[in-house]
Parts: sequence; C-alpha cells; structure tokens
Amino acid sequence: MIVENQMKKCGTQALGETHVSAANVMATPNAYVRFWIITMLLVLMGLATLKLR
Amino acid sequence: MLLALTQWLAEDVRFFSVFNYITFRAVLAAMTALIISFMVGPTMIRKLTAYKIGQSVRSDGPQTHLIKAGTPTMGGALILTSVAITTLLWGDLHNHYVWVVLVATLGFGVIGWVDDYRKVVHRNPKGLSAKAKMGWQSVVALAVGIYLWNTASFPANTELIVPFLKFFVFPLSAFTFIVLTYLVIVGSSNAVNLTDGLDGLAIMPTVMVSGALAIFAYVAGNAVFSKYLGIPYIPGAGELAVFCGAISGAGLAFLWFNAYPAEVFMGDVGALALGAALGTVAVIVRQELVLFIMGGVFVVEAVSVMIQVASFKLTGKRVFRMAPLHHHYELKGWKETQVVVRFWIITMLLVLLGLATLKLR
Repeated sequence: MIVENQMKKCGTQALGETHVSAANVMATPNAYVRFWIITMLLVLMGLATLKLR
Repeated sequence: MLLALTQWLAEDVRFFSVFNYITFRAVLAAMTALIISFMVGPTMIRKLTAYKIGQSVRSDGPQTHLIKAGTPTMGGALILTSVAITTLLWGDLHNHYVWVVLVATLGFGVIGWVDDYRKVVHRNPKGLSAKAKMGWQSVVALAVGIYLWNTASFPANTELIVPFLKFFVFPLSAFTFIVLTYLVIVGSSNAVNLTDGLDGLAIMPTVMVSGALAIFAYVAGNAVFSKYLGIPYIPGAGELAVFCGAISGAGLAFLWFNAYPAEVFMGDVGALALGAALGTVAVIVRQELVLFIMGGVFVVEAVSVMIQVASFKLTGKRVFRMAPLHHHYELKGWKETQVVVRFWIITMLLVLLGLATLKLR
C-alpha cells in the first residue's frame, strides 16, 4: 500500500517506472516473450562460440 | 547459391571453407531467416492491415477471442518467404532432399493461401472446401511419398525405426511406406493448423520441434555420428538442418509479432505449410515416431477434435467443454497466456524426451 501510494505520488502506475517497455509501448506478455526471444538468440550466440574460434 | 560461391572462393581463400560446414550454415540460415522476417514483418503487417486482410473469429468460441476479430492474418506467408529465400541462399541446391521439403512446404502453403484468400478477401466463410483441401493435400503428400520411395538407395531410407528400441526396425513395402508418409505429412500439417488457435501457441512448438529435427537431420546425415548413436545413416539428410534452422529463425521472428496480444496471425498458409515441413523432414530422417512424441501437443490437439466430434455424433455429448483442447482449458478458467506458456513447457519436455531417444536405445 505504501509503495503504491509512493508510486502515485511519483506519477507512475502500479507497473513502476522500471517496466519501461510494458508501461510505454508493449502489453506485458508481448514484452516478456520478446525478452525471451532475445535471450534465446544470445544463448545461441554463446553456443556458437563453441564452434567459431 | 551462396554455398557454390563460397566453395569457389575457398579455392583461393581458405577462410571460405567454413561455409562447407552444415552446422555453420544452419546457424547462418536461422540468423538470415530471422533478419529477413524482422525487416519485412512490420511492413507486411501494415500492408495486411491496410488491405483489411483480417481474421474472422468463430462466434461460438470463447468470448475473450472476439476482440481478436480484424487482426491481420496470412502472416505465414512471411515465414514461408524467408524460409524459402534462406534455404535457397544457404542450402546445397544439388541435394534433392532440400527440393523435396521446399516443394512440400510451399505446396501446402499454396493450399493454405487459397483457403485464407477465399475466407478473408472473398469473404467466403467456408474458404476452400474440406474435400478440395484434403484432395490437394493428398496430392502433394502422395507425390512426396512416391518420389522418396523411388529415389531410396539404401534400405535405411525406407525402414521404420522405433524410438528407445534399437533392434526394432521394420522394413516397409512400397505401399506401407507411401501410406505412412502420407499420414505423417497430412496429419502433422492439419494438427499444427488445429493448434494455431491462440497467440503464439503453434509457432513456438514448431520452432522447438524444428530445432530438434535439425539435430536429427545432422546426425542422420553424418556417417560417424549415426553409427555411434545407432540410427539410420541417410546420406544427404544433413542438409535439412539448414532448412530446419531457417524455420526456427523465421518462426522466432514471427513469434515477436505473434506473441499475445498478436499483431498478426499466421493463418492456414503458415500452419499447413509448417506442419507439412515438419512431417516431411521427419519422414526423410526416418523419425516419424519421434515426431509423434516431440509434437505431442499437436497430436493431442488433433485427437481432442476427433474425440469431440466422434463423441458428439455417437452419444450427443461433448467430452471437452470446447475443442481443440486449448479452448477447453480457456473455458476452465486458464488465461490465454497461461494455456500458451504451459503448452510450450510441455513441448519443451517432449522435445527433450525425443532428443533422449538419440542416446537411449
């Protein structure tokens, strides 16, 4: 409750200011799936270092 | 195309020999398909929206789906375009398996495209009639089966292998091989199509199964690995890893736009083609039964429809609240995203089980 009141004072919604993508542009599920996709690509890139050296 | 170029360049510059490696080209294919889809995707969505190529939503479906009406569809064309371009760029075009999977995929894509086009542009709710759709699917699938039988040069090309059981190998006659090929391709195509009912539900399992099939194709096409793991050696099948890589890359990029709330749906053009692609690759690498395991979500979705229809016709009662199965869980109170992510988790486990069959036999 205290946190929510502080957020309202700061002019932010319950999402909080750290959820930039969610608050400004994308719906939440959209945002997290896109972050998963980026992570998958980074993991693949990491695995590719096994071969590319 | 680029393989031929790099092979020519490798005669003078040794660095270009790296492009001979299937694994390297499979990764490049995934990245290329991903980049093409990312670049073309937003423009395509804008065009589809401008031309009002929007999805119609079944009126008897869950009420939460009514807001999806009008969302652009036929986005599967984006996947097919980037997969085809990428495969032509990075695949070995002298390999006949590459052409078989491309023709099967694009053949089913055309059937789906005609169906979507009639539904969305001509406003004909029936689209392509069920008979015509099944008839054309049968033509393509049987053509693939007959071609693969006639070009099979080793017994391993036409044997049915059983997961986990090394010594259970069944040589197939021409008839059983063609019938099995037909059932796998048409079955997987329609199963993926039935699964494509929630945002991201069909594409992510397709990406995962395709990634696993890339491993199977690579291993089956490698004499050393196939002998070590005790699976049939299929010369030339390794090249399909490039095709599977392209599907995974294009699929991931499509998921970017298809994640809840979806900006675009793949439509029949995507779902039928991707299902057929998975089925054709599985037939070539002789892993039909493993596809049955890894694509368990697709199988269960298709079976739920069959059970629902059979039960209603025979007893007048429904087994599920609604079919396909994902709607049943929605009506039970699961949120759409919960159903989707949980089905993804199940597919991950099934894909791991499928990959385990490489070693556990």
